[in-house]
Amino acid sequence: MSIIYILIPIAILFVIIAIGVFFWAVKSEQFSDLNKQGHSILFEDDKEQHNKSNDRDKSV
Amino acid sequence: MTTSCFHCLEPVPPGFSAHVQFESQPQPVCCTGCQAVAETILAQGMSDYYKFRTDSAGKVEELVPEQLKELLSYDNADIQQDFVSQQGELQEVLLSVEGISCAACAWLIEKQLLGLKGVARVDVNTSTHRAMILWHPQQCKLSDIIKSLHQIGYKAYPFQADDEAAQKQTVAKAYLRRLGVAGLMTMQVMMFAFAMYFGMFSGMEDNFEQYFRWISLFLASPVILYSAMPFLTNAIKGLRAKQLNMDLPVSLAIFGAYAASCYATVMSVGEVYFESICMFTFLLLLGKYLEFRARLKASEFTANLQKLLPLTARQLLPDGEQKIVAAKSLQLSDQIMIKPGETIPADGVLISGSTTVDESMMTGEHLPVKKYQTHQVYAGTINHDGVITIEINKVGQNTLLNQIIKLQHNALTKRPKIVEVTDKVAQWFVACLLIFASITAVAWYQIDPPHAFWVTISVLVATCPCALSLAIPTALTCAVATLTRKGILIKESHVLETVPKLTRMAFDKTGTLTEGRFSIESVSVLNKNWQESDVMALAVALERYSEHPIAKAFTELVVSPRQLSDVEVITGSGVKARFGEHSVAIGKSAWFGNHSSFAQATLFVDGKPIADFYLADKVRNSAPEIINYAQGQGLSCHLLSGDSSNAVKDLALELGLDTYKNACSPQDKQKQVESWSAQQHVVGMVGDGVNDSPVFNSAHLSIAMETGADISKNTADVVLLNSDLKSLQTLHQVAKKTKTVIKQNLTLSLCYNGSILPLAAMGLVPPWVAVIGMSASSILVITNSLRLLKL
Repeated sequence: MSIIYILIPIAILFVIIAIGVFFWAVKSEQFSDLNKQGHSILFEDDKEQHNKSNDRDKSV
Repeated sequence: MTTSCFHCLEPVPPGFSAHVQFESQPQPVCCTGCQAVAETILAQGMSDYYKFRTDSAGKVEELVPEQLKELLSYDNADIQQDFVSQQGELQEVLLSVEGISCAACAWLIEKQLLGLKGVARVDVNTSTHRAMILWHPQQCKLSDIIKSLHQIGYKAYPFQADDEAAQKQTVAKAYLRRLGVAGLMTMQVMMFAFAMYFGMFSGMEDNFEQYFRWISLFLASPVILYSAMPFLTNAIKGLRAKQLNMDLPVSLAIFGAYAASCYATVMSVGEVYFESICMFTFLLLLGKYLEFRARLKASEFTANLQKLLPLTARQLLPDGEQKIVAAKSLQLSDQIMIKPGETIPADGVLISGSTTVDESMMTGEHLPVKKYQTHQVYAGTINHDGVITIEINKVGQNTLLNQIIKLQHNALTKRPKIVEVTDKVAQWFVACLLIFASITAVAWYQIDPPHAFWVTISVLVATCPCALSLAIPTALTCAVATLTRKGILIKESHVLETVPKLTRMAFDKTGTLTEGRFSIESVSVLNKNWQESDVMALAVALERYSEHPIAKAFTELVVSPRQLSDVEVITGSGVKARFGEHSVAIGKSAWFGNHSSFAQATLFVDGKPIADFYLADKVRNSAPEIINYAQGQGLSCHLLSGDSSNAVKDLALELGLDTYKNACSPQDKQKQVESWSAQQHVVGMVGDGVNDSPVFNSAHLSIAMETGADISKNTADVVLLNSDLKSLQTLHQVAKKTKTVIKQNLTLSLCYNGSILPLAAMGLVPPWVAVIGMSASSILVITNSLRLLKL
């Protein structure tokens, strides 16, 4: 059972890391607009097509 | 069946036919504006927008050359000073974007702008409708960025964040951090607490128990010393001001129990209460944060409003040239030119030209005021139909607008307040608690000295006013959420407590009880050969070309269109056109010198008067009903108007108002409301104009209409988003219901605290019972508050 003397501090370390990540997320405004972040996964990042159409505009 | 526009989902007008190709299917659009935007979006490969949007886009309005010119002025370094900040090589601007409706818009905007050369970062916030943009000033201009937004259908203008808004954001973030720490740590502490509860029943080795206590101490410390700190600072602030507030019993319980538990851990004696106080802190923070966020949303909405004064002015230089300059750099006796439809940027005397000016936001008078040479015009009013040149005679703090704003700030410091229920309850709760705790301590010291300290601590924990302190924030949060859903924005926390106490309601006239715009009251046909329907059709067709405020009354009507040609707008007179064989015209009665009447508009055919149109400001449909309701609830209703005409008396009689007062200056309104307050009346003011903003701060409660001036919406406690007076009834009903729920909550929590007190004083409450009792009472209170969501 004495293993918990080591395991619990390690678990606490993880909690501290989690809090660090949470603070970073608050600082970088990830919580200021929950609506947008939730939807962002739906959109394809079709950068290639986007750039292509820009090039086409230029050539016209 | 009517088809709806592919872009904005509004019905496509009959006769208009245009399409865009989406996934090789032709889709109908309603106007060339929407067509251009949809084509741009599809051509740039951003068709995902149409697939995933959850809300329709706004109808697109095309830019007129005049607006394009104004956009270019945003590139001027002088003007940029106000809203652009330098970030190393890059420049940063916050734009307020009109038309953002869902997450798809954010994606669309970010995609569009990142495609521009020189734009480094775009961050769109869909709840505040703002976009933060970082760009290289050498590679790209601000006007190009705004134009690019116009291409995909969004109107944007620079946003000047005020200090108050920025401060609120910081507070919101601090709340979130404290809440996160409290949440994560409470979970850990609870885990060890459960291990110790089970240990109590089934036996646990002493060294393990001691180890768990130390771990709990370590985990609970950030919650108490960081998350719960604001309670302590507030309590101390209250004590300094010689007041006992709700934060005092809260911090007494939290910090008292924390200190005792630390002592118990270090000395290995007594009980620890780490889990109780952690959970208490978390629940309390959660309630307060939710309430704060609901109000933050309301104030973010009003903070987006455009400023009253234009940023730029068209200065006439001595050599006759025009130059666009920053409005705030204008000096005394500078000459500036103002075109029709523009807002006047400074107070001045008219030196050339003549026009009519809409001063309704200053005076409440809804008829445009005629201005000739040597007349004074005021900053913030709108120039209607003439090109004028003015010489500036007042700048900065001396302008009428700034004087009104000063008046409003002065009133804020003298604002009447109603003592909040929480504070009243806190006063005697704290007193009782302290007395009871000391009696317990003294009594136990006589009976059993070693246990006296622990029993006293358990009294503090058991009577911890968790449910009590949640009773009000949770009820308010639910009520505010319900009201927001119904289009009533609550900006201040005192609103729901003040509403049921109101004894007087004061209303502004123009724009509040009336619609604040013209509608046709009657038509008199002067020539027997014409039918009224033909006259109306012609008038509507002609007025479509006019920018005059009167024209709006006509263009709202739906009639079969008449085909006109050679349309000509004659400034100061009206609109003229050819209709088949005839020349037709609509405008002021004296236009052709052969007719005079009091009508606001006359229709002429071949120079002869055919019909007179009488216009009036229409009373809102909901006005009689709301006055009836208010009087039925025992509130007296009063009219305070800046309008000096007889219309005020007529309206007061028509609606059955208790008293009325016309020709009020902003100061007069303030004085009237202050004298009512002095007679112990609780006054609510409903208004919309700039001239109402000082009185808003004198009243106990201020309510602004969405259609009103920005400054009044910023000052008001409540904004009615749908500008419907019926919302006042909803507000009153919800506020009354909230009051009932708060009362029930307070009774529930006081019953719990009262019944556990004797048990704790007898030393019969172990930590786990305290936790269960606290959670159960909190859940009961929260569940009761949730009923307000279903209203």
